[in-house]
Amino acid sequence: MEKRIIVKNIRKKFKLCKKDSSFLGRLLSFSDSEDFLEALKNISFEAKEKENIGIIGSNGSGKSTLLKIIGGIYEPDCGEIILNGEAIYLSGFNNGLKSKLTMKENIFLIGSIFGLSKRKIKKVFKRIIDFSGLERFLDVKINKFSTGMLTRLNFATRINFLKNKECDILLLDEVFSSGGDKNFKEKVKKEVDVIMKKGATILIASHDLRLIKDYCDKAIWIEKGEIKKIGNPKEVVAAYEQYSSNIL
Amino acid sequence: MKNKKNLTKTIELGYNLAKANFKLRNEGSYLGIIWYLLEPLSLFIIIILIKGNIGGNPIPNYPLYLLLGLIMFNFFKNSTTLATNSIRNNGNLIKSIKINKEALVLSTVIQFVFSHFFELIILAIFMVYSDLSPTSLIFYIPILFFYFLFVLGISFILATLGAFINDTSNVWGVFTKILWFATPIFYVLHKGTKIYILNLFNPITYFIEITRQIFLFNSLPPLSKIVPLFIISVLTLLIGLKIFQKYENKFAEEM
Repeated sequence: MEKRIIVKNIRKKFKLCKKDSSFLGRLLSFSDSEDFLEALKNISFEAKEKENIGIIGSNGSGKSTLLKIIGGIYEPDCGEIILNGEAIYLSGFNNGLKSKLTMKENIFLIGSIFGLSKRKIKKVFKRIIDFSGLERFLDVKINKFSTGMLTRLNFATRINFLKNKECDILLLDEVFSSGGDKNFKEKVKKEVDVIMKKGATILIASHDLRLIKDYCDKAIWIEKGEIKKIGNPKEVVAAYEQYSSNIL
Repeated sequence: MKNKKNLTKTIELGYNLAKANFKLRNEGSYLGIIWYLLEPLSLFIIIILIKGNIGGNPIPNYPLYLLLGLIMFNFFKNSTTLATNSIRNNGNLIKSIKINKEALVLSTVIQFVFSHFFELIILAIFMVYSDLSPTSLIFYIPILFFYFLFVLGISFILATLGAFINDTSNVWGVFTKILWFATPIFYVLHKGTKIYILNLFNPITYFIEITRQIFLFNSLPPLSKIVPLFIISVLTLLIGLKIFQKYENKFAEEM
């Protein structure tokens, strides 16, 4: 099978900015004590076509950073990433929705950010509305929306646009654990299934261990920026669970 | 071929974002679009009143001379000022999607092209009122195009600086104020003066002067004046883009 993702010795450091980070402040502080956080230290792995990989680890272990680097949002300090196809990063939290625009306008905006033409957006438009179940609020500005509604809208738009784009690698960052009721989560899973069946490789970062066990072909456990264990999801999850309970 | 496709995509996205933002800025305010015109118009009235008091100005069609200078400088000032914060303002977006960042900067400049059109309508009304034919506005299209490229180039540089250094917008705010007085917007340059020599290095002055010559004196400026200016505009854009592209992959971490 074709290799979709090859990650080789990725490292990433983040500068920890001190409070006084104005230009003048930096100029006047003589001690050049820059502090770094090593978010990722030497990460390497590979992913094949149609493979589902789960990424687990405690908070701040580097899961999101890793996905963001693969998705091209961050740049690694060193190391190499080879991608065979287009990678799309999808996060459950941050959304680029504009609170003072209506739902309809937001859908078009996100669509164009995804690089779709107006004609294509119109084609998916109805599906998005059906998916989100927010038909009544089409012309309401989204600052009037509740958090649950926003989550639904955010997802409905992105997932449906994704299906219309050639997407070979899908990077899901805490997608299934952010708002949305059971019913909606099922819908999202179904959509992800469809994308998967098209042959996409999917990387899921999540704290939902059951999901990882049920869904993934392989799991990676990251702790403090290093891969602790990689392999069969059940074994990796068990090792992680034991580690977490030991800490408690 | 791939580059060409990218360019169309960037322009399309930039245009859509500009449209959305333009609408956004008019939302919820009662006067809407009039706010855009308020600043140049109020300045216009103040300067006219002061000049009227001082009395005797030798410039024919002074109100038009002034208004044209005001709106052209306004386009430069507004676009570049907003562009300075364009990366920071879209931090959330940049962190959550791999987005074409050039389009973010492009959209800020396009936004002010929209409002510039409204200013031009006012200018056209003034022209009719002063018995000048507004058909010469057609010649403004190529000038505006190159002016746009110039402003875009500067915007790319400022957006890059603004993403890393917070103070950029403050510094630029002061700089544009000084530049406003240094540019012959409400006065005429006299050869040999210090300010004249200074303005030899001010591309905005050339843009304004060329346009004035067309609008007010109904004559085409010599090519020797136009061509170098257009070359400078393209160069500014290329340099700006180069700088921007060198650093754009680091933006997400700075947000």
